Amino acid sequence: MQSYVHVILAGLSGGMFIWLVASGLTLIFGVLGVLNFAHGSFYMLGAYCSFTVFRYLGAGFWTGLLLGPLAVCAAGFVVERFFLRHVYRIALPYQLLLTFAFVLIFDNLVKIVWGGGALSPPSLSFLGGSVPILGRNFPVYNLFIIAVGPAVALLLWALLEKTWYGRIIRASSSDREMAAGLGVRVPALFTGVFVFGTWLGALGGGLAVPYVGLLTPGMGETIIIEAFIVAVIGGLGSLKGAFVGALVIGVLSAFGTRFFPAFDMFLTFILMGGVLLWRPQGLFGAAR
Amino acid sequence: MGKRGMNRRDFLKLTGAGSLVAAAGTVGGGLAFPKGLWAATPQIKGPIKIGYQAVLSGTLAGYGEFHKMGAVMAIEEINAKGGIAGQKVEMEFRDSTLKADEAIKNARYFVDSWGADYLAGIDSSGQALALAPVMAQLDRPLMVTHAATEKLTEDFVFKKGVKQIFRICMPTYNDGHAAAFIAKDFPAVKWSTVSPKYEYGFTCWKMFQDTLKGLKPSVQFVAESWAPFGTTDFRSHINTIMDAKPDGLYSTEWAGELISFVKQAKEAGLFEKVKYVMFPVGAAMDVLEGLGKDMPDNIWVSARYFFQYPNSKENNDWVARFHKRWNHYPAYVSETGYSAIYAYKAAVEKAGSKDTKAVVAALEGMEMNSPAGHRVFRKEDHQAIYDVPWGKTKSDPKYPFKVMGDMKVIPAKVYFNRPPFEGPGTTPPFK
Amino acid sequence: MKAETRNAAAAAAVLLALCAVPFLAGKFTVYLTMRIMLLGIFAVGYNLLLGQTGLLSFGHGAFYAAGAYGLGFFGLHVSGHPLFGVAAGVAAAVLLAVLVGYLCVRHTEIYFAMLTLACGMMVFSLIWNAREITGGDDGLIGIMRSPVSFFGLFKIPIGTDRQFYFFVLVFFAFSVWAAHRIRQSPFGLALAGIRENARRSEFAGVPVRRYRLAVFVLSGAFAGLSGSLEALLESNARPFMAHWTHSAEPVLVSLLGGLSSLAGPLVGGAIFVAMREIIQRFTENWMLGFGIVLLVIIMGFRGGVMGTLSALFRKATAPGEG
Repeated sequence: MQSYVHVILAGLSGGMFIWLVASGLTLIFGVLGVLNFAHGSFYMLGAYCSFTVFRYLGAGFWTGLLLGPLAVCAAGFVVERFFLRHVYRIALPYQLLLTFAFVLIFDNLVKIVWGGGALSPPSLSFLGGSVPILGRNFPVYNLFIIAVGPAVALLLWALLEKTWYGRIIRASSSDREMAAGLGVRVPALFTGVFVFGTWLGALGGGLAVPYVGLLTPGMGETIIIEAFIVAVIGGLGSLKGAFVGALVIGVLSAFGTRFFPAFDMFLTFILMGGVLLWRPQGLFGAAR
Repeated sequence: MGKRGMNRRDFLKLTGAGSLVAAAGTVGGGLAFPKGLWAATPQIKGPIKIGYQAVLSGTLAGYGEFHKMGAVMAIEEINAKGGIAGQKVEMEFRDSTLKADEAIKNARYFVDSWGADYLAGIDSSGQALALAPVMAQLDRPLMVTHAATEKLTEDFVFKKGVKQIFRICMPTYNDGHAAAFIAKDFPAVKWSTVSPKYEYGFTCWKMFQDTLKGLKPSVQFVAESWAPFGTTDFRSHINTIMDAKPDGLYSTEWAGELISFVKQAKEAGLFEKVKYVMFPVGAAMDVLEGLGKDMPDNIWVSARYFFQYPNSKENNDWVARFHKRWNHYPAYVSETGYSAIYAYKAAVEKAGSKDTKAVVAALEGMEMNSPAGHRVFRKEDHQAIYDVPWGKTKSDPKYPFKVMGDMKVIPAKVYFNRPPFEGPGTTPPFK
Repeated sequence: MKAETRNAAAAAAVLLALCAVPFLAGKFTVYLTMRIMLLGIFAVGYNLLLGQTGLLSFGHGAFYAAGAYGLGFFGLHVSGHPLFGVAAGVAAAVLLAVLVGYLCVRHTEIYFAMLTLACGMMVFSLIWNAREITGGDDGLIGIMRSPVSFFGLFKIPIGTDRQFYFFVLVFFAFSVWAAHRIRQSPFGLALAGIRENARRSEFAGVPVRRYRLAVFVLSGAFAGLSGSLEALLESNARPFMAHWTHSAEPVLVSLLGGLSSLAGPLVGGAIFVAMREIIQRFTENWMLGFGIVLLVIIMGFRGGVMGTLSALFRKATAPGEG
């Protein structure tokens, strides 16, 4: 029993992580129709910036978490305003190529600024430590992450469904021209959404620092693929789908690694393949 | 190299030195020449070019930097003292990106385009294996400074006769066999592993199992969990191990992944439940420094070189010089990179020629002193034999990281596989 | 008609230049040119799928790997004859492409891309985990280049780089010619129609799904050919050939050079390989340099290099043409 509970807990915390990263990706795709491959780089930059504030500027972890992602928003702004904006009308492969160019640039910049070596953050005092669950220790921080995930989901839902701003965003994403006709400054709105999505990704990175315990240039690369898969399984553009998808993938991967070890790399991809073959638009995606 | 004209005395000195070298060359090496005699030798045209490739991008980018520190320091020292055989040494450094086709392209670039005389480096075993036939084609020596697969030396050098390959660093023998020799004295009988899900991980675990079973037949292997390259979340693997309730844990996880693993295992309380833990590459500087006081005590660790061993004047002086130059304690690849350059120096000066065949012949059986101690390049498979320590992690007020206490050194010849590498009696334990 | 002869002349000139390379250039350049040709075969076939039909696949590395491992297994267990080996590799790639294509072609755009990515990564994972058969991440090593012989009549050795270069050149020329013929054929035109408007093509009687599957398999065959040639060149086959980062290469290269022309992927391939090499000579930070070059090309050259060049060319010659 202990074993199953811990596998589920591990799966939930891992899954919530992917949700945090996928949320920004999904928001950006849902509203702007852009698949931002560089989202993993914003995750990485978020981690490095938070860590810098936290470690070198002597502020606490929470200050780092607050300020770090904000710094990354500047990068997000530059990418959207000066580059991505010009390729919205161009086919998907070019957008991917553009954002891929940024992946290369950001990965290398991180190496230049922070060095190539892995950075290891010290353990947390507040929210550090473990609690025994059914006889085995589980980190408090992971429980925190399991709580943060749904909190962010709730926040996003409230933002998009219940606020006036959210309504405008939803309107502009379903019909760009109409919204513009009604007086919405669509380009500025899109920049705002992109920056917000970037912030979500960077926040995920900042939160990752104590979870993974390690920062390396290139840390965005694996998580971006997992986030993509989750976003696709959930249905591209559907935040609800991404949340559910992340939970499913997280828990199933944990079970897979624990009980079916021969399959691990396979498992996530088979899952995605299976979902797509059954429902090509993803779990909650709009039917085509 | 000097711009001033040569007077008669210089000219005579030169021809004298030159004929000595020619004589030595024909006699066939084995003599070591004092450095002072070297002026530009007719047989050796400078500069001496060494092409070095290591990983400079991605998650392991730090390792390339460590390689560079060692190699650059060696070249600075050598050139300050007049170079190799009186010729300056030049090095070009390239990112190997851990991919085999990059390694091959870089090797060809170094030799065919840049004109390298010697190659060094290589972190990944897969790269080394892919590169071996190419080195035979390019016909230049390659001194491997990190890649550990024993297949490189046993298969390619010994069985297939690719004489150009040499390896100066400790191979998987220490990670697999030596660990078993250390483990046989533990009371632990139920062993488990969390290891990398690629050949290196599989091979070392198998070596450990086979050798330990031979030394202590009562052991059982109760759990194994394989973590793919790039794993950041080890919790499920830790769960697998803890469910099996072993009393020993063996792991060849290394670099950043080991750091993550240790932190996460600590959170789960693994080290309270499992008393005997072995990390064959846990004494790497990036791991020890990265973990700091988060590294638990009493973990058995080793590495391909550890700065506190041997406790000789030569090693301690070198570590101090290295620390002064780079403000870092030397990583094991810094030592192997450093020693690789010196190995080439010794070989070229012994052979009296830059030529591949001569240098290969000089390196075979060559003994050298290096920071890691006394090394001998085994003739049969070109593998350098030297001793490395195992120890239990403990705090030391002098350092901000844990160091090795209770150092145990198993002599290399006790656990190195022996030629012909196939059949009984070629793997430890040797009766 | 003028365009036709102009293109033919250009192609002949390039072919001549390629033949001259082993005699005029250094060994490393010969090697790089071979790699460019291999990438060219991969990309020109791939562009039949992307540029011509509008399907973005991220799984073609799997067929490349199938070609390499197919040739490897054939060479190690059956016979070292390189032509049969290449045939075995291409056959393996085609088989796999039929399987994967059948599953994937009913989807489009991003879902097609993700499905092919999933399939490619599953192949990667399979190769990596089936260590006993494939050698795992060590790969298949020891693939030899035996001489090409025809029924014992004569033996053409392909052991040295220069000899192998011409072996590759023959396949390269053939691949480019084949891709050209396919693009110009009624089948190729139908593919372009599918790209423009699949629904209308369907109404016009084009069996869309079947054609998509056919071009998927065809592009897979090109990938397999390229893979088997690389296995011969580097004497090994590795799991990373099936990884999605390798599948992204023909995408990158076709986008760079231009999707709508035959030469686009080839030009893109040459730029890709040459650029990486040049940047590496100046700095270790090749990723930064390469990323910046990509940015410049995307922002500045819509339609890839070839697209912009031909637009410029058209503008330059327009006044003269009647």
